[in-house]
Amino acid sequence: MELIRILFSRCTALFRRQTLDEELDEELRSHIDFAVEEKMKRGMSAQAARTEAMRAFGGVTQTTEAYREQRGFPIFEAMANDLRFGLRQLVKSPAFALTAILTLALGIGASTAIFSVVKAVLLAPLPYKDPGRIMTVWTANPVRGGHPLSSSAGDFAIWKQRSAVFEDLAPSFDDEKTLTGQGAPLFLISYAVSANYLRILGVEPQLGRLYTDQEDSPQGPKVALLSDHIWRTTFHSDPGIVTRTIRLDGIAYTVLGVMPRGFDYPTSVEIWTPSAMTASAYDDFNHPYVRILGRLRSGVTLAQAQKTLNDVEAQVAAAHPQTDSGNRVVVVPLREQLDGDIRKPLLILMGAVGLMLLIACANTAGLSLARNAERQKEIAVRFALGATRLRVLRQFVTESLLLAMIGGAGGILLALAGNRFLLKLFPNEVANLNIPKVTQIPMDFGVLMFAFTITLLTALLFGIVPVLKGLRTEASAAMKETSRGSTTTRRTNRSRSAVVVTEVALSLILMTGAGLVVASFQKVINADLGFQPDHVLSLQLFLPPDHYPDTDPTKRRRFVQEVENRLNELPGVESAGTINFLPLSGFWGTSGFLLRGQAPPKEGQAPEADNRIITPGYLRTMGIKLLRGRNFTDADRAGSAHVAMINQTMAKQFFKGKDPIGEELNLGSLDKPDWWEIVGVTGDVKAFGQDQPTHLDMYRPFDQVPFPLVAFTLRTKTDPASMVKSAEEAVWYVDPNLPVLKAIPMNLLASQTLAVRRASSALISAFAMLALVLTCIGIYGVMAYAVAHRRQEIGVRMALGAPRGDVLRMMMGLGVRLTLLGVVIGLVGAFVLTRLMTSLLFEVNTMNPLIFSIAVIVLIAVAMAASYLPSRRAASIDPMQALRTE
Amino acid sequence: MGGDKSEVLQGTLDLMVLKTLESMGPLHGYGIARRIEQVSGDGLSLNQGTIYPALLRLEQRGWINSEWGTSETNRRAKFYSLSGIGRKQIETETENWERTAATMARFLAPSN
Repeated sequence: MELIRILFSRCTALFRRQTLDEELDEELRSHIDFAVEEKMKRGMSAQAARTEAMRAFGGVTQTTEAYREQRGFPIFEAMANDLRFGLRQLVKSPAFALTAILTLALGIGASTAIFSVVKAVLLAPLPYKDPGRIMTVWTANPVRGGHPLSSSAGDFAIWKQRSAVFEDLAPSFDDEKTLTGQGAPLFLISYAVSANYLRILGVEPQLGRLYTDQEDSPQGPKVALLSDHIWRTTFHSDPGIVTRTIRLDGIAYTVLGVMPRGFDYPTSVEIWTPSAMTASAYDDFNHPYVRILGRLRSGVTLAQAQKTLNDVEAQVAAAHPQTDSGNRVVVVPLREQLDGDIRKPLLILMGAVGLMLLIACANTAGLSLARNAERQKEIAVRFALGATRLRVLRQFVTESLLLAMIGGAGGILLALAGNRFLLKLFPNEVANLNIPKVTQIPMDFGVLMFAFTITLLTALLFGIVPVLKGLRTEASAAMKETSRGSTTTRRTNRSRSAVVVTEVALSLILMTGAGLVVASFQKVINADLGFQPDHVLSLQLFLPPDHYPDTDPTKRRRFVQEVENRLNELPGVESAGTINFLPLSGFWGTSGFLLRGQAPPKEGQAPEADNRIITPGYLRTMGIKLLRGRNFTDADRAGSAHVAMINQTMAKQFFKGKDPIGEELNLGSLDKPDWWEIVGVTGDVKAFGQDQPTHLDMYRPFDQVPFPLVAFTLRTKTDPASMVKSAEEAVWYVDPNLPVLKAIPMNLLASQTLAVRRASSALISAFAMLALVLTCIGIYGVMAYAVAHRRQEIGVRMALGAPRGDVLRMMMGLGVRLTLLGVVIGLVGAFVLTRLMTSLLFEVNTMNPLIFSIAVIVLIAVAMAASYLPSRRAASIDPMQALRTE
Repeated sequence: MGGDKSEVLQGTLDLMVLKTLESMGPLHGYGIARRIEQVSGDGLSLNQGTIYPALLRLEQRGWINSEWGTSETNRRAKFYSLSGIGRKQIETETENWERTAATMARFLAPSN
């Protein structure tokens, strides 16, 4: 109680200082007056009475001081004093203060902004039970390109049975569905998942319940779980949704539950239904369509799981060589799976801003060193007047913190301003990029804490050197050094040199890194897509099996034919065509093929090519080159001879030196061949983006293979985006019940495909540029200080006859030597660090000599420029003046 | 703090102030200082200034209150008076002091 009263009284006193001081003054004055009055009554003269009163009082100043200490918090007040003094110091050298604050703001701001993305994406908590143990399991096989892809149900069943490393493994596969009876028909991304799949994730529905293992069987009821999104939008948050019947692909399903908001796995799925795997499905090793989710037993490492599964798979491959030989099982933690292709660029960017922050620190350290050196005399005076080292240290620390805090605040403002531009890293239209959906990057408490922490670290980093130096100052020595400008002591010299060398080295690393990324980006955007994306509009549709069943291919043919005709007649349309898997759309599928007369390939090694089912107008509309032979025509109909075209990569790989025209592909098996005659060879299309390898492509006429997934493409005379409405109307004229999945101009799709590369390359080059500017300022500052400090020495040299050229050379030589040392260290660092970037680069070697040389030359040029001005000032010193100034 | 002359222990001064206020009623700083000097006679040399931090300390603890007023000679001055808590505190402080004094006395007494 008493303690609280004391604290309260002291705290309030902090804010009433002036009033209280005045009151104390008055009280003490009245005290003295009382004393004088009394003494005069006893017959003393006024003069003697006052002297006597003052003596009895015993020192007004001491009393006031003691009183103040008792009144408030002396530590706070001293700190406030330090702060005020620090602020005055900063205001007194505005150039220094502004440069340092701006430098720190840039460093802290960039780091905070990038960290906000890292936190929102890589560090966001996953809404699942013990997510660290949830794994996705994939099969990679060189025949299928060696990438981790889905596995066969047969493999899955055996892995589940034989691998004890997993608590549970669950199958799933995508199973797109069309929802009808709720306004316009909706194409929904749906997943068939086993009952234990949802248990592995450990989610509970917000309404209703999950399905049981019994319900997840071929004979089980038709039930579905809805996403929060579809429940809120299409079903208007209907509270009675559970047990309601909805129609998916024309079949009645009972809604069993609504998943919680924020549950988004697999990404973008709107409806989950039971996988209902039949017993015979588990004998199928031929069709890799199962996507596996598992929960590791606690204590089992990723490497152990990977090894165990591969050992099991080796046994499977021995039993099923035809389908499984060459299979490699890849276990990927859920976290990494969700982060996808954004993880590496983000980490690289984080590294880049980290380097920039270090440069900013070095820069500020250099500036503080120079400035504190100018203040040597002040410090010496303080020491001489009896200031303790601790007191001086406190002043330095306060000033560093003050600078860092102002810089940090500026940095947070910069990060707030720049943060929304970082959303460009996450295009939302592209399905073929494996990156998480991010619609906002919050600047939350965690991000602010990060900014605050790095601000403190920064203050420590740039503040420590000047402080240590400041403490070494000997009162007498400092006064001597400044007053009789000798050559700089080696110690001062060394820390300043270290600053320059560090900055140059770090900049070089950042610049080579940026150079590699930018060069890769240039290569990528200049790489030929193999089609002309300008002025092409695409509309992707799915033909639902209830309206367009496999058993009635004519209906699909008629639909595509009629829509294409209508599109062709639209004003402003030059041509129209259709394909099943639109390039850059993320959709794709393959077929195995055999060649006539060729020895049957080794088991499990049958080559596969991407299925591209097109109408005759497609190649012309997309601007894909026909290299040899002929395009499909309207005569290549359902009943006519089976024909195919292959792309150049496939022609080169399988018909070396031979003319593939007239050759035949067997898309069946050895026993039941299904022959397709090659009539043409097309140019290569980069269907997965410019930076991805070209697949083998096999084109066949839509009329002969009526595929249920179609993308209409139309070449327009005007802006393709303006044609979306009329194109959609053409589709709906033919079938008013068909949803258009996505209508998007191809050039937009192409540009979004490069969004991550474009954004990260822009960011990293911006960081490198800033780093270069900071380094330039840093070198200039250090050199300018060196010149100022050696003014008298230079004056003496010149007075003794040193030509101006020699002085210029001497000072430039200092800058160049430090720069070269920095370059050497930086090169070593760059060689080591750029290796980490290999997977991000495209057709650019990490050891690219051109980029390294450019970085070195630019850096040296900048360093020379930065030291030239101060050196010239040194050379133009008037010796008489220089010697006379002190 | 109060110069070399101050030989008054901190707790001692506090108790002196409290006792003074108890016997004299509300009094200003000069009055308190004079009273202490008079009561202790030549036994104590007090820097009058040192009572002000002591007065503040007592006020912060809530043992005394202060108020601006006018003296008999029509001079504006700050008057201090004992608070309720302060009145009770005198007892405790007196006991404390007596215990300390007794202890000191035992130390200073000729051994055995």
